[in-house]
Amino acid sequence: MNGPIRRLFYATIALFAALMGMLAYQQVVNAGPLADNPYNTRKVYAQMSIDRGLMLASDRTELARNREEDGLFYRVYPQGDIASQLLGYNDVKYGQSGLEHSLNDYLTGTADEVELANFFDTLSGKQQRGDNVKLTLDPKVQRTALSDLEKLGKRGAVVALDARTGAVLAMASTPTYDLNNLEADWNQLNRDQNGPLLNRVTQGLYTPGSSFKLVTTAAALESGAFNPDSKFNDEKGTINIGGNVIHNWRDQPFGEHTFAEAFAQSINTTFAQVGEKVGQDRLVEYQQKFGLYERPPLELPPDEVAVSGRYVNGSLASPGDSLDPVQVAWMAIGQEKVQVTPLQMAMIAQAIGNGGVMMKPYVVDSILDRDSTVIKKTAPGEWKRPIRDDTARTMTDMMIKVVNEGTGQGARSGKVQIAGKTGTAEVGGGKGPNAWFVGFAPAGNPQVAVAVVVEDADERGHDSSPIAHDVLLSALGM
Amino acid sequence: MERKRELVSFLPVLLLTAVGFASVYAARSSQIGAGSLGYGALFLGIFVAIHIVLRLAAPHADPLLMPITGLLAAIGIMMIYRIDPALAAAQATWLLVGVGLFAAIIFFLRDYRKLDDYIYLLGLAGVFLLVVTAVAGYDPNNSGVRLWLKIGGMSIQPGEFSKILLTIFLAGYLHSKRELLSTSTWHLAGLPMPPAKHLGPLLTVWGMSFIMLLIMNDLGPSLLLFGIFLAMIYVATNRLSYPGMGLVLMAGAGLFAYFTKAVVHLRVDVWLNPWTDIQGKGYQLAQSLFAIGDGGLFGTGLGKGYLLTASGRPLIPALQTDFIFSAIAEELGLAGASALIVLFLLLCYRGFKIAILAEDGFSKLLAAGIAAGFGLQTFFILGGVMKLIPLTGITLPFVSYGGSSIVANFASLALLVLISNRTNSARPLPSASEGAA
Repeated sequence: MNGPIRRLFYATIALFAALMGMLAYQQVVNAGPLADNPYNTRKVYAQMSIDRGLMLASDRTELARNREEDGLFYRVYPQGDIASQLLGYNDVKYGQSGLEHSLNDYLTGTADEVELANFFDTLSGKQQRGDNVKLTLDPKVQRTALSDLEKLGKRGAVVALDARTGAVLAMASTPTYDLNNLEADWNQLNRDQNGPLLNRVTQGLYTPGSSFKLVTTAAALESGAFNPDSKFNDEKGTINIGGNVIHNWRDQPFGEHTFAEAFAQSINTTFAQVGEKVGQDRLVEYQQKFGLYERPPLELPPDEVAVSGRYVNGSLASPGDSLDPVQVAWMAIGQEKVQVTPLQMAMIAQAIGNGGVMMKPYVVDSILDRDSTVIKKTAPGEWKRPIRDDTARTMTDMMIKVVNEGTGQGARSGKVQIAGKTGTAEVGGGKGPNAWFVGFAPAGNPQVAVAVVVEDADERGHDSSPIAHDVLLSALGM
Repeated sequence: MERKRELVSFLPVLLLTAVGFASVYAARSSQIGAGSLGYGALFLGIFVAIHIVLRLAAPHADPLLMPITGLLAAIGIMMIYRIDPALAAAQATWLLVGVGLFAAIIFFLRDYRKLDDYIYLLGLAGVFLLVVTAVAGYDPNNSGVRLWLKIGGMSIQPGEFSKILLTIFLAGYLHSKRELLSTSTWHLAGLPMPPAKHLGPLLTVWGMSFIMLLIMNDLGPSLLLFGIFLAMIYVATNRLSYPGMGLVLMAGAGLFAYFTKAVVHLRVDVWLNPWTDIQGKGYQLAQSLFAIGDGGLFGTGLGKGYLLTASGRPLIPALQTDFIFSAIAEELGLAGASALIVLFLLLCYRGFKIAILAEDGFSKLLAAGIAAGFGLQTFFILGGVMKLIPLTGITLPFVSYGGSSIVANFASLALLVLISNRTNSARPLPSASEGAA
């Protein structure tokens, strides 16, 4: 029996060698990724003895500060639920999210560019302190956005960007939650079907509906085949493409009209034809020019910024996938499988309002040390140039018509000319549509771009235009 | 000679124990009192007692078994003490009970081979314990696993004892039937295969393990029992076809359980990807991996790891039992944790060596079964907490918190001691061959 016993021992050695191998893998090779996992609270715990930096709004309103207890620092959010998904949490039990996660190195003073100075502080026995972060967020605009959404009592998202720089002025997502009660509310927040922890501006993927006609129109104008005065005739209110029927809202026929009128009244039958004529290749090319299929370079953790594009079975499809004619027509009116984030739509409006130059969106204005000396300031940067300046001007005129005479009259203001495009995206399942308003103001000299989406909205999509109106006026100080 | 070597080996163990407790105390003196340093003294007492027992009753027993297991138990109680001093007091009590049983077996069961005459009785007792647990067992922490039995206010895990009883039964049974089971009448892929009528024992133990799995809802004990059986039948017959067929049968049972038992399904899914539901089902394994990863090469140092939350509760559920290795890996690092693995390998080595040196088949099978049991149990739980294999809820022998586990493992150890004592006493020059094998 000694032979098999010996071989049994060799087998034991093999099993234990596998244990050793896996142990070495987890403790050496995989140690970094494990330490960086946002749910690993060790780092947060170790950093609780650091006087974490403040987060300040653009007017220096304190958005996050600390409460000290027995030498440990706990986060306090004086503004409660105002921008919870953006700021994120920093919790010893549940880890980090949002800016608390992505800006952690600055907030703890462990970023490369500031570490040396803090290292000497540690040597000289001073309390280790992080640096303050000043955001571009304007609390007044943020409050307007949030309270408008909350008045509706619906799920939704609002984002406002500085049209010239790409700076985030407001980023609101409902329902929201109070960051100060995170531990007590954690289970309920995770169970809540309405997903309060979700940042709908950057993580919410929505069917764009007619708001996507902005992209289709840009492709159509620059193809040279269409201009705002191009003539169309719509007798029936429906159109047959490849055996499939595309409808106008309530099958309303519009008769003879121009391309600009089709844009203002959001005529599906016309845009289906335009899409068919422009073709899949050019449509997709312009989607990519506007930044779809790419992650917008915002300072949030990458997994909190979704990529817009065509989604099939929950994952991003390749832009090169070939589509049927009817799918192309549906895509032109924003009803195919294209899914976009409100941030993406606001960036499209920003680019149109900025003469065709899309800026990198950003929310961190500057990093300040404790003496308020600026250590690092974000310089606005160009991200893409999706369209020509003259195309942008033509589109602005078309967008003015939407607000003055078309589907976007709910956003119309006597004080400032607003330009925009609405969208009413059918979602099915017995729910109301997603109502969009994407636009900017003042139309003659765009300063603020905005995207609003309201879920389960009333049938004609009147919920989002008034919010866009309020947020634009608030951002313009009117 | 053996006892002198044992005494010398005890010295570094005692030193390590003392240093360990002192560093836990130094790191956590604000939370725990100095009186608990008495654990070092307790260990000194236990080592002296064991040494005297062996000098009196088993003078020729293997000299490294006790230092190895002593060190394992010391590391265990040190870690438990670091997690919760109150639990360490309970564990110390169980250690005393375990050592008491150990001494009793050494004194009263010196001729352990008499067990061979009662194997059917012992086997029945082992099965009976399992049946009682299956019928009347309970699940104290709602983990979905029924392994516990409440007797007069005390919770015990009968599975731990049934494991020993069944190992003794299998040693006797396989020893008497080995000729029969070794015959082969046909070949499959070059392997000699036994005739179908001799597959009875294999199918019986497989069926039993399978029923255990279905009723108790846990992979651990049933996998362990079946694994020990496969190791022993291989030793008895030298036929790879038995473990081969056994593994196929086990895979079949595993697949069935995966699709029908929620607990098994969950364990496998969490093993494949603990990250998808990191705050829910994957929490325990994810936290274990975080702890292990945090240890790095040399660990955070005893008492300095992030094992407890601010309120003093362990971050990993079942930290002191199933997940004690994760705590060790965090605080002692790859250096300390791999030393612990080597220590277990050394324990298996001594066990298999005792089996090889033993002169009769029953002793060989018994020693090999016990050694294989230690090895498999260590592999299952360590592999589970470091995501090498799906997690199975079993304890780490001698290290994990838990009375049943400690007491039962000391009983197994006593049998190994008796077998080696018998072998070495019978040989004319017991110490001469010591370095040879």
